[in-house]
Amino acid sequence: MLNYNSTIIEAKEYSDIKISEVEPTLKINLRGKNRDFVTKIGKELSIILPTDPNTSSGNKELNLLWLSPDEWLIYSNDKNNLETINSSEDKLFNDISKTKLGSVTNVTDHWIMINLKGPKIFDMLSAGCPFNFNKFKYSKGAVTQTLLNHVDVIIHNKDINNLNLFVRRSFSNHLWLWMNDSARFV
Amino acid sequence: MSRNLRITNNKFIDQTSRISFKFDGKTLYGFKGDTLASALLANDIHLIGRSFKYHRPRGIMTCGSEEPNAIVQAGNDASMTEPNTRATEIELYEGLEASSQNCWPSVNFDIGAINNFFSPLIPAAFYYKTFMWPANFWKLYEYFIRKSAGLGKSPTQPDKDIYDHRYLHCDVLVVGGGISGIIAAKTAAKNNLNTVLIDDKNNLGGTTIFQQNECFKINNSYSNEWLKKEIETLNSIKNLTIKTRTTLAAYHSYNYLLARENLTDHLDLNERKDKIRQRLWKIRAKKVIIATGAMERPLIFNNNDRPGVILSYSIKKYIDYFGVKCGQKISLFTNNDSAYETAISLSNSGVSVNSVVDIRDRTNSLIVQQAEKLGIKIHWKSAVVNTNGYKKITSIEIMKLSDDDTTVVGKKIKQECDCLGISGGWTPRVHLFTQSGGKLKFRDEDNVFLPDKSELDQISIGSCNGDFELDSVVKNSVISTNKFLKVNNNDYENLKINSSNEINKKNIWLLPSNKPLGKTKPFLDFQNDSTANDVKLALREGFKSIEHVKRYTTTGMATDQGKLSNMHALGIIAETADVKMGELGTTTFRPPYTPLTFGAIVGRNVGEFFDITRRTPMHDWHAKHNAEFENVGQWKRAWYYPIENESIHEAVQRESKAARDSAGILDASTLGKIDIQGSDASEFLNRVYTNAWSKLEIGKCRYGLMLNEDGMVYDDGVTTRLGENHYIMTTTTGGAANVLGKLEDYLQTEWPELDVYLTSVTDHYATVSICGPNSKKIISKVIPDLNLSDKEFPHMSFRNALIDNIKCRVMRISFTGEHSYEINIQSSYGKSLWEKCFEAGKEFDITPYGTETMHLLRAEKGFIIAGQDTDGTMTPVDLQMDWIISKKKYDFIGKRSLYRSDTIRDDRKQLVGLLTDDPNVVLEEGAQIVLETKKQPIEMLGHVTSSYFSPNLNKSIALAVVKNGKKLKGQKMFVPMKNKTINVTITDTVFLDKENKRLNA
Repeated sequence: MLNYNSTIIEAKEYSDIKISEVEPTLKINLRGKNRDFVTKIGKELSIILPTDPNTSSGNKELNLLWLSPDEWLIYSNDKNNLETINSSEDKLFNDISKTKLGSVTNVTDHWIMINLKGPKIFDMLSAGCPFNFNKFKYSKGAVTQTLLNHVDVIIHNKDINNLNLFVRRSFSNHLWLWMNDSARFV
Repeated sequence: MSRNLRITNNKFIDQTSRISFKFDGKTLYGFKGDTLASALLANDIHLIGRSFKYHRPRGIMTCGSEEPNAIVQAGNDASMTEPNTRATEIELYEGLEASSQNCWPSVNFDIGAINNFFSPLIPAAFYYKTFMWPANFWKLYEYFIRKSAGLGKSPTQPDKDIYDHRYLHCDVLVVGGGISGIIAAKTAAKNNLNTVLIDDKNNLGGTTIFQQNECFKINNSYSNEWLKKEIETLNSIKNLTIKTRTTLAAYHSYNYLLARENLTDHLDLNERKDKIRQRLWKIRAKKVIIATGAMERPLIFNNNDRPGVILSYSIKKYIDYFGVKCGQKISLFTNNDSAYETAISLSNSGVSVNSVVDIRDRTNSLIVQQAEKLGIKIHWKSAVVNTNGYKKITSIEIMKLSDDDTTVVGKKIKQECDCLGISGGWTPRVHLFTQSGGKLKFRDEDNVFLPDKSELDQISIGSCNGDFELDSVVKNSVISTNKFLKVNNNDYENLKINSSNEINKKNIWLLPSNKPLGKTKPFLDFQNDSTANDVKLALREGFKSIEHVKRYTTTGMATDQGKLSNMHALGIIAETADVKMGELGTTTFRPPYTPLTFGAIVGRNVGEFFDITRRTPMHDWHAKHNAEFENVGQWKRAWYYPIENESIHEAVQRESKAARDSAGILDASTLGKIDIQGSDASEFLNRVYTNAWSKLEIGKCRYGLMLNEDGMVYDDGVTTRLGENHYIMTTTTGGAANVLGKLEDYLQTEWPELDVYLTSVTDHYATVSICGPNSKKIISKVIPDLNLSDKEFPHMSFRNALIDNIKCRVMRISFTGEHSYEINIQSSYGKSLWEKCFEAGKEFDITPYGTETMHLLRAEKGFIIAGQDTDGTMTPVDLQMDWIISKKKYDFIGKRSLYRSDTIRDDRKQLVGLLTDDPNVVLEEGAQIVLETKKQPIEMLGHVTSSYFSPNLNKSIALAVVKNGKKLKGQKMFVPMKNKTINVTITDTVFLDKENKRLNA
């Protein structure tokens, strides 16, 4: 059997900051422009596609993040097994891409999801992120695509002092070390 | 410590906690709250260092960041020593060690001081002049000039301290915690604005906080007491962040500012462990209020640089704030009222003031009246014409000014003193305002440059805006802040302010002397030793622009950036050249305001965080198997896998032989991968690549070249048709992000009509590439269900497959010329798949190979690497790849440029193969190629782009670009190297298996 390998081994806890990897989780990149695409996605997922920039929508299982006027990221709240991920992708691909409504791309392993919790997480982020979190901090569901220590990341505000951060897999180890280094000095 | 130099009536120094420190090896004592400068003065040490050019003894001159003279080498560890730190800015801590700079063997006896006597021989721009004439003499001068260049010593070891960066966003940033800044910050924060107040000192309050004088009262309290209460209320205000020991370094466009916070420099050494030393704040402020105050000016007269000559207001701070007497018999020399504040403070603290020498006619402002009441003697309309004393001032010479102030008259009075306070008026600190792009205006009445126009959302308030009297500072700061923030704060309405206002103003940039100018040394720039004479010489030699004079004389070019000297240089130039100062302009104020450490600039981006690293899913396997890594962009790619003590050459020879003879395995995960979907995907590829894509069948792969708009090769890779409207494109490792950006740009701006969507999946897939005659056998073991016959699965095609129920894509493509497969699997299973393939290949001695072997193998086949064999000037035709350009397509990116007269020239540099006459000689990449070695000048016809020793051919091979190379096959040419000339012959670019038999072997 092929073995599953994660890039990050263990969760880390500091005073007021907890960092942990949440994998494997389903992640699908959606792209499309027309009205039929938007309607179809809404029906398939029972979630309305967010159209306001840097917002999100979701339900108990899934989140839909706005990335650009024609691009969204779906990700699951909880860890998934491979079958669920494959069947979700296949169904969406057949219903959206094959019908020429838009594109559906599995990015489950493209992104690594890291959960950040605790009252000091924004201080830690400010060591390497130029984004202004003053309002974002209090806006549940807000999304931003920014840089953290020069690395592209997507940050989703799940709840007060509870963020999900997405980083490309190849950068994840480096960013993980950097976050742990920064957490020391908060 | 000389007991009699320290008074005990102060509130800022904790005289119960004594601190020991060393200066020039001698153990001394100070108190908590002292700066190194105040502690040295309390120990009666004035001689701190030697000047740059003439090695004249120099002492402490100021109490702040503008200090030009008292710069020291700080730090007890030679590896960590920090040069050019200002004694006035170093907070005293237990164990501090500092030493004098620019002197040898010691500050008391310095050989270099002989320069002072040779000064007529080393005029302004002496060192530029040595370049000019006589030409041969430069060789003689160079050694001495280089030896004497620079100040201080650099540390020799890496910095052990920790630094970091922080981003900060606020509504209002207030720079400067003096009385104006405090009023502004309080107003902003109380009106619900997220406010940050920064100050470079350890305490807020500026100069007002030690101003306890009858002439300056607010609501009947001394101004210091009123301000102290204001500061106490700040703690209870929400929305207000106060950062002390924080210097604003730079003010850039769009209110982006950099500030350096000192976090541990004031702590005892044992309290600093594992803490951040300095933090660089990157601030984005919606609004900026600059309240940086003003600097006192010196006066320019003969020998105004001796230790013991101190700015008058600094003497006041040393006595009122630090409780330190700068001398026992102090004289003062001024052109304005502020020296009288000093005189009164000294007198109240029991220091005898010899006299105040004032260049003005008698004036009777409140403060002068108060000084006279205390019995302080004043020499009206007089000037100090000379000072005496070598290592410390011992006396001054005073003379009367003539009626027109151009000369001195009457009897010379000699007055003994051990300290001379000088005050030449005040210069608003407009540095930050001008850094931000603001334009200045000139106020003639007191010769100051003031903030005028700015494009940014900012204001300057207080004395940096030209308000120098207490009542105007407070009133205007309140009005300006309210207006700027659009608020109506009435906390400061109806304040009753008493203030002594200056009535009589007068300024002489270069004071007259009883000696001819050439016989005097009136210093302008104390750190760079340039005098008023140097500036005048520059003008005589034809320099008119202030920027030229600055560089010619080095005035204002020292580590203090001429904070004290620039105004006088301007004044003297204006007077001498008879132009108005306002029209002359100023030199450019550049960031940082005070020097920054490299550590603060770099932050945590040192060591493992120097640059970002990207790892493939198989990284740990490579590391475990002894791989050496190569940086490709930010990726760490396995370069070669040495066994035991193999050199790179030996390892690469072994790896490449194995790949051709049996089987090799390569981690190709770093290639860029772009998922393309949409009904116009085929049309999109037609426009992006030079070749045709419409007829590519589902399940087939095709190689494509991508050009820039200029027709030059930009990137290449294999694209596979996965479905009717679905492709996966691969790009070069380094080009991935740029290619995606460019294609997305085209879709959004040039071809919005196309129904195409791109998604990067570079990191989603791990790619294992297996090549060699046994590759098919290995793949059949890993994926037994896959039909690998040439008919079912031919070269340049792809199949979906399952390995242990995990989906993967298998492409039969080759970059080595061997029979070869690439398996793409989602990254989480990449390492495990690699191990499985390795296990399956063991019976065939499967050999992991790195990028170096990959480069060799492809060069044997004449395959290019975009970026190595191309350099942004190569068209496909230059690469002899004419076959890849479709003649039928209407258009593709770069098509038009391929038919420009320059791109169709025959004699462009073209890609060729090169063989050395001696098969064992390997050419150097980058080496030049020539046809004739005798003719001068030698014409460079081309250069080597790739070069290797091929174990499979048992000879050296190379690719090169050569002018008109296509037509030169068989031509003998030369590669001249340092020690020998190598004979080469131009050949075809394909060295191995021209018939492509191995692909299907």
